[in-house]
Amino acid sequence: MSDLTPAQRTEILERHLHDHGHVDSGDVDAAIAAAESASGDGPSPALGARIVARAWTDADFRARLLNDPVAALAEYHPQTVPIAVLEDTASVHNVIVCTLCSCYPGGLLGNPPAWYKSFEYRSRVVREPRAVLAEFGMEVDSSVELRVHDSTAEQRYLVLPLRPAGTDGWDEEQLASLVTRNSMIGTGRPLAP
Amino acid sequence: MHDLGGTHGFGPVPIEIDEPLFHERWEGRVWRMLAAVMARTTIDRFRYTIEQMPPAEYLASSYYERWLWAIEHLAAEQGILDSADEPATVARPSPATPTWAGPFHEGDRVRVRNPVTNGHTRVPRYLRRHVGRVERVAFAWPNPGESAVTGTYGEPELVYTVAFAAADLFGPAADHTITADLGESDLEEP
Repeated sequence: MSDLTPAQRTEILERHLHDHGHVDSGDVDAAIAAAESASGDGPSPALGARIVARAWTDADFRARLLNDPVAALAEYHPQTVPIAVLEDTASVHNVIVCTLCSCYPGGLLGNPPAWYKSFEYRSRVVREPRAVLAEFGMEVDSSVELRVHDSTAEQRYLVLPLRPAGTDGWDEEQLASLVTRNSMIGTGRPLAP
Repeated sequence: MHDLGGTHGFGPVPIEIDEPLFHERWEGRVWRMLAAVMARTTIDRFRYTIEQMPPAEYLASSYYERWLWAIEHLAAEQGILDSADEPATVARPSPATPTWAGPFHEGDRVRVRNPVTNGHTRVPRYLRRHVGRVERVAFAWPNPGESAVTGTYGEPELVYTVAFAAADLFGPAADHTITADLGESDLEEP
């Protein structure tokens, strides 16, 4: 292993790439600032929440989202890879993982959380998902079929969680405020109203 | 070391509340610099490069340290550390729904092949030689093993979403279902 720290190695790499015109360090600064501010219409959990809330209120959009997700999602953000939307029901709960690396619906939700990329989540959620979900404070009734989707190819997944009870008459914006990032991965539920 | 599905010995999932996008300044710079090498190759070659990390180093490295290692190696391989050459364009595949039919159909039972290779495969060890059921013809994409070698995307093949009973893979206590997306060349009739 290198004696240099990752920060030192990064600096050396960036200097080489910048000096030869392959990276613009000013652009790197700007891109990091933009990603950290996570504002606007780009991929983020807030974008995913808006899409889920619309699917809860607009039956036509829901059908299009489930049947032709790439086209339906293009209304929000162009998708460069195939995507499948996994519909939770009273009898099915969906969870996503990438056991081989870190494949994640980044084109909708932005960068994955660190736990999603951890060895612990990647190794365990396919073998003992109920135990893993319990660590997220989530119990799934044994009568509910648990479906774990390993993202082994270029298709990405988005979980469409169940709409919380007690939200009759809520509009899209109110509903979106209940949709958490983890509820779109399957390791959580939407917030209670 | 990357093929972790089902591996024993890892403890509780490290869940961090309100985690920052990047924990250290250099991580964001590595994240952004990936684009410089990705302009010249495939996502598969990037993954394959990470997979070359010695196992002990892989497990001792953080996520962005593994990226850094791969970008250093790819940049050296591409010669861009010392040269200002413009990138050749790598044409990206389309996410559109395939219009052709393949050998397998929804509902078919299929067996996962055992693609032993010194190269790159996206077939997890825990699924090899197991029988599942085709849920749907999902999309079409170039074979990742080939894209990892050539650094370009070739002709697409059909990719199927296949469902497996976890009890077949991990014993009778496992009552869940697992799906994976597997290319036509990684499947056979059971």
